[in-house]
Amino acid sequence: MIIDHLDEPLPGSSLRPTPPGVAYTDPEIFTQEQAEIFEKQWNCVLRADSLPQAGTWKTVTVGREEIIVVRTRKAGIAAYYNVCRHRGMRICTTGEGRSKTLKCGYHAWTYALEGELVAAPNLTSMPDVDQEAYGLRPVHVREWLGYVWVCLAEEPPNFDEAVLGEVRTSFGEVESIDNYGIENLACGETKTYDVQANWKLIIENFMECYHCATIHPELTEVIPEFADGLASQRKDGVVHGASFGDEITGFTVDGSSGVAEIPAIAPDQERKYYAITVRPQVFINTVPDHVIIHRMFPVSESRTIVVCDWLFLPEVVEKINAGTLDVSKSVELFHRVNEQDFEACEYTQPSMSSSAYTSGGALVPSEHHISEFHDWWYAALGWRAPEQVRDEQTTAAQA
Amino acid sequence: MSVRVCSLQDLTPGEGLRIDSVTPPIAVFLTEDGQVHAIDDTCTHQEASLAAGWLEDCRVECPLHESTFSLLTGDVDQPPAKRGVRVHQVEVRGDDVLVELSQDAPNLPPGVTV
Repeated sequence: MIIDHLDEPLPGSSLRPTPPGVAYTDPEIFTQEQAEIFEKQWNCVLRADSLPQAGTWKTVTVGREEIIVVRTRKAGIAAYYNVCRHRGMRICTTGEGRSKTLKCGYHAWTYALEGELVAAPNLTSMPDVDQEAYGLRPVHVREWLGYVWVCLAEEPPNFDEAVLGEVRTSFGEVESIDNYGIENLACGETKTYDVQANWKLIIENFMECYHCATIHPELTEVIPEFADGLASQRKDGVVHGASFGDEITGFTVDGSSGVAEIPAIAPDQERKYYAITVRPQVFINTVPDHVIIHRMFPVSESRTIVVCDWLFLPEVVEKINAGTLDVSKSVELFHRVNEQDFEACEYTQPSMSSSAYTSGGALVPSEHHISEFHDWWYAALGWRAPEQVRDEQTTAAQA
Repeated sequence: MSVRVCSLQDLTPGEGLRIDSVTPPIAVFLTEDGQVHAIDDTCTHQEASLAAGWLEDCRVECPLHESTFSLLTGDVDQPPAKRGVRVHQVEVRGDDVLVELSQDAPNLPPGVTV
């Protein structure tokens, strides 16, 4: 697929191009994204505490594959392709469960939680069958921030560089994400959004705040500086702590006080909001008393499931569960932001196939850092970004 | 007559060990509280090794289907298996696990013969 830009703005102009509309509507491009991005990168799939005991499992979709994530008896959390090695039937046929083994319902090939084939009808009469080699095909697993991350690549990108490095660099040394101790927080609320929009529209939306003053009245009330259109995320992956308004006492829908603050945050994190994107499918927002984590699961070129968790200190979540503490005002703020963002994305998606958008749209200066995402996207698919081509042409012309 | 089938070191608490040096094969279990038991290894419903099953409260669940067998009496609790397995007398002498094989006829599944 060749992506051409018509009507590109001149170098140095205020506006930079977006990818063309077809990048958001073409099923073939989406298939390439599944193969080259989601099936090769680390994906944050579920909370580790959602698998509390040995034998609890859930199925998740990563790229075009269905994956079983299970807490084993002996080896922590493991993940496997949900494909029986015998004749291929789905091993797990529902979204979650708890069992002593992973057993295919077709011919009863039975796998230990640790993956090896432990039993099958007449298996003892087939002593040549290597029960390790015919175990469930594993995928790489990491736990970080209290979440299970999986990578389907045979040789995954180095997690410390690909994920941790990017996040720590973005947050900077002082304003370290580690201060929030996210791995020790508990989930106080989860909401799932079925968004009828391409996943890239959702990432682009999350990266900029040019829209904030228009569609996020509550957020802009709490963080007035967002009215200038500059997002927490900036050029070169830098993250800027966005300050609360003077009258604001908490990150809540009406600016009222939140709950107990996370104790280890630095003094300059106390009244600030930070946002980062962990490509390809995670957004992290931190405020003094909670952390909001979004996981995206692209379903098609025009549909994305987004799961949003609100994390608080464990003692706060205990009170929420006991009914003695109400965090609905904290949750409501970002829930509204989500609904406002996703509505905008859903009204944008149909235009992506319009003849009026064939050559794409424009990024204003406060959105120029989104080009870094686009450059990453072009590179991940093995394409050269139009700007790269243009720069090379400029260089050649000068030579 | 007792036969030595394995050493205690070969056994893992909570798991079974298939012994196919005797015919039909037997399964030797070391329970979490240190008791050693031996029963026929082959489920009476369909050929499967009970040594690979799930051990809990002195019963082993066949790895293929839902029937469980008592390590003490060999009785089966629920279908699809309908017949129990034989129990073999175990004696632990030092490090050696000795088994006196039952003289009863084994209840083997269809298609499996001694």
